[in-house]
Amino acid sequence: MSGNPIKAIIERLKEFRRPGYYKNYDHKWTMVIDLDRCNGCEACVTACYAENNLPVVGKEDCGNSRVMNWIRVERYVAGEYPDVKVKFIPILCQQCSKAPCELGCPVYATYHNQDGLNVQVYNRCVGTFTCATYCPYDVRRFNWFTYKWDAPLEQQLNPDVTVREMGVMEKCTFCIQRIRAGKDKAKDEGRAVKDGDITPACAQSCPAGAFTFGDLNDPESRVSMLAKSRRRFRLFEELNTEPSVIYLKKVFADGGGNPPVGGHTLAGGHPPVKEGHGG
Amino acid sequence: MKRRDFLKYIGVGGAGGVLGFIFGKVSKPPVGKLMPYLIPDPDIIPGVANWYASLCAHCGAGCGVLVKVMEGRVKKIEGNPEHPVNKGKLCALGQALPQTLYNPDRLKKPLKRTGERGRGQFAEISWEEAVSTVAKNLVDLNKSGNANKAYLLTHPLRGTFAKLAAAFMSSLGTSNIYEYELFQNRNLLYALETSMGLDCIPRYDIENTKYLLSFGADFTSTWVSPVLYSDAYGKMRQAAPGNRGKLVQVEPRMSLTGASADEWVAARPGAECVLALSIAYALVEKGYYRGGEVDAWRSALSKYKPSAAAHIADVPEKRIYEIARDFAKTRPSLAIGGETVSSYQDGVSGLTAVNILNHLAGNNGIKGGVIANAAGEKPDFKKGIAALIDDAAKGRVKTLIINNTNPVFTTPDGAKTVEALKAVGFIVSLASFKDETVALADIVLPLDACLEDWGDDEPNPSVGYPCRTLMQPAVSRAADTLGAGDVFLAVARAVGGKTAGRLKAASYADYLKDAWRDEYAKNKRMSAGTLTFDDFWNASLKKGGWWHPVGETKKAMRVSPSAARDAASKGPSMFEGDAKDFPFYFMLYPHHVHRDGRGANIPWMQELSDPMTSVVWGNWIEINPKTAERLGIREGALVTIESPFGKVSAPAYLYPGIRPDTAAMPIGQGHDAYGRYAQGKGQNPIRILPFKNDLRTGAFAVNSTRVKISPAAREGGIVKLEGTANEAGRDIAQTVSVSEYMKMKKEAV
Repeated sequence: MSGNPIKAIIERLKEFRRPGYYKNYDHKWTMVIDLDRCNGCEACVTACYAENNLPVVGKEDCGNSRVMNWIRVERYVAGEYPDVKVKFIPILCQQCSKAPCELGCPVYATYHNQDGLNVQVYNRCVGTFTCATYCPYDVRRFNWFTYKWDAPLEQQLNPDVTVREMGVMEKCTFCIQRIRAGKDKAKDEGRAVKDGDITPACAQSCPAGAFTFGDLNDPESRVSMLAKSRRRFRLFEELNTEPSVIYLKKVFADGGGNPPVGGHTLAGGHPPVKEGHGG
Repeated sequence: MKRRDFLKYIGVGGAGGVLGFIFGKVSKPPVGKLMPYLIPDPDIIPGVANWYASLCAHCGAGCGVLVKVMEGRVKKIEGNPEHPVNKGKLCALGQALPQTLYNPDRLKKPLKRTGERGRGQFAEISWEEAVSTVAKNLVDLNKSGNANKAYLLTHPLRGTFAKLAAAFMSSLGTSNIYEYELFQNRNLLYALETSMGLDCIPRYDIENTKYLLSFGADFTSTWVSPVLYSDAYGKMRQAAPGNRGKLVQVEPRMSLTGASADEWVAARPGAECVLALSIAYALVEKGYYRGGEVDAWRSALSKYKPSAAAHIADVPEKRIYEIARDFAKTRPSLAIGGETVSSYQDGVSGLTAVNILNHLAGNNGIKGGVIANAAGEKPDFKKGIAALIDDAAKGRVKTLIINNTNPVFTTPDGAKTVEALKAVGFIVSLASFKDETVALADIVLPLDACLEDWGDDEPNPSVGYPCRTLMQPAVSRAADTLGAGDVFLAVARAVGGKTAGRLKAASYADYLKDAWRDEYAKNKRMSAGTLTFDDFWNASLKKGGWWHPVGETKKAMRVSPSAARDAASKGPSMFEGDAKDFPFYFMLYPHHVHRDGRGANIPWMQELSDPMTSVVWGNWIEINPKTAERLGIREGALVTIESPFGKVSAPAYLYPGIRPDTAAMPIGQGHDAYGRYAQGKGQNPIRILPFKNDLRTGAFAVNSTRVKISPAAREGGIVKLEGTANEAGRDIAQTVSVSEYMKMKKEAV
């Protein structure tokens, strides 16, 4: 390839853009969420609302499943009184390395960037909803309306983040504005980005310290250490989407007062309610 | 827009432009700034944030925050990483501070009542008029010899502001300061004082404990200091590899903390005290207790043999012995008693029983156990809300100053709070929002949000070492408001005489700084390593306060058998109403972000789903699915909840984490006032409670009645964010068993 330098560059760029080969990305931003620490308090959700200018849609639209939360804490209940077991799991965009959402977009509004992030370009989005249909994690949120902030609540809006309008799909960005700020600062100081320089809003707020964020390409980073845990799993691993969010399994009691209840054996042990107690 | 309309507007716009140009020559419009930062303020660089260290005032935990300010506006709140209480973390309610600051329903000007009391009709007045009206009333009261009929009802105060308020009231010749908040730790402080001789809320070292036995303490969401203890919870689980602490939660209704517990013990409501004492008996009986006075303990606890307690508490005898064994054998272990227990009519007994458990297992003063703090502030136990309402109803209160507390919302109909307040001669309300109590005021003084105000705090519970923290304004005032400290100083100046003499400071900022200057002069540890007070002050403002993380407070903490006998001699706590007519225990708990109702006016908090039910923008009642099936209640159907004292309705949520003989409702929704986001969101369950107050502590018991539940024909209008709580075998939130986990730890390098 030494013959034609332009060809060499093109080849190299192609390599960069091949999904799954994330070792070639500048960074491999990864979030590790320890479910054994998470207590379901939802501080992360409010942090995200504040950081990313998420609109409040009101009771009616919440009822129409139009809530705009980029991160939610799902709660699963199993068993019957008195042996009830509850599990929490925060779910945000998994920033898949092989992202199904990217395949469908007709206008390339969602693509992979040089950090291995699955990003959404609001200006390109024409609102076909394809990406949200392809997403197995239900983390994409569509602006059905242009939401307004009651004055003077709009004074809180973060100037580093766009306020989206009707017809645009949006989702968790791993707080890309914070990633950019962290990289810029490192560049200004003439050094590489260190582990701990960048923390997304949810990870910053977590009172129980369940979230860890960092670069998986850096073998010394905390996420690289935690990613080796025997408790690790990724959501719907069988779909082969290669998420960048790594969960650590919750430790469930065995023995004691309650009989052990395993995650996958729960489906049958549900209270006899017509609609399920969650509706 | 239609083409025709478009052309019309173009025409009008064009004509207007020409006319404007002509008139512009005659009457010049006021000069505005096209580019406000042409000559920028040196502090303001567009696009670059300034961070100010301050404090969160949304609850009493006293977390330190960093406020992100860009172009003079608050953008985000984060925990202060250096702050010893929250260590950089912050709960959802704390992060909602900007939505209190920029809330569209904030009071912007002082108000004077125009209509009948309680109608909520007010007219805007100037600060001068408001302050002089209040001062005139206080002076007149003094002249007529009724100085002791002036009362102050305030949220619990700490730090310099507490001293200011006390100085203000005493200079007027009265000591009537009533501190009130629905969840105020009165019973906890009383139990600690009477049984353990402690003058503080200790630091429960959850972080380092290996076995945590929690009696209804929802410590990861609402109890005492949620961020401090959530952080500790995370560390207890996973900070020390291989040493994962175990959590056992005893409560009739599974709370958010209970959901994370390894074991849930659904004891009968009111019987937690008996259960705790029977565990204590088992500790002594089985020889786990290694201290003195064994026989005295055995006889003091002899009424609580597990065989008898098992029936009362509805927990098998075998399990009581198992808990006792694990609690004694796992070192260190820790017992805590929370809101569920302290909210019973006899809340003190349950909390005393918890102290007994810690004493018998040898958990006091050890790492991973109970660690003493320096003396903290403590309410006057005689001055409960019932005493104030009684005084007001009897006409003993001529002037009442209410500072940022809402008793009308947090007391039941039976307390007749509104009637009592109507009998008060003159009510001044200091508040940021027009809540149910403000509606009864004669003069309303609008307060700063905490992001605009000065203040300081000594967190309680503290962190085991001296800690004084500072609140500073991060932005200038958004409206014509004042801080509570400045209001008191302004009124003092207008009253004149002795009051003005004692409170001379020109502003509360000066008053605060002077108070710190005095302490700096006295406290050697504060002055160590600093040149002048100004150095120290600036450093403290930058850091968020002053703390000295050495020299843990050592205090003797022991419980004697006689103290135990006095405090815990009763059986299970009482519930009003006949079990036949009212078959369900009614448990109320603070909503995880609305707390006692204060968070309900914040849109983020309304749209934040409740973690256990995912309900947003409304209220609900939790009923066990089996009970609901028996009563023919579907999920989401409206039900009527009737106690001997009244009726409310709420949509049903079928919740497997609750005893079949119990129904539970969150406190926080059901406001009649308090702004557009809070109003009309369900009904307030506090209304149908009996007004039962502990005579020893003045605490109002919310878990004190039975109810009956009858389905109404309508839909309840419940809105949930979740589709289902059933994982349906999809293996989403995966788990490992403890034994598997231990194996992993061994195999790991």
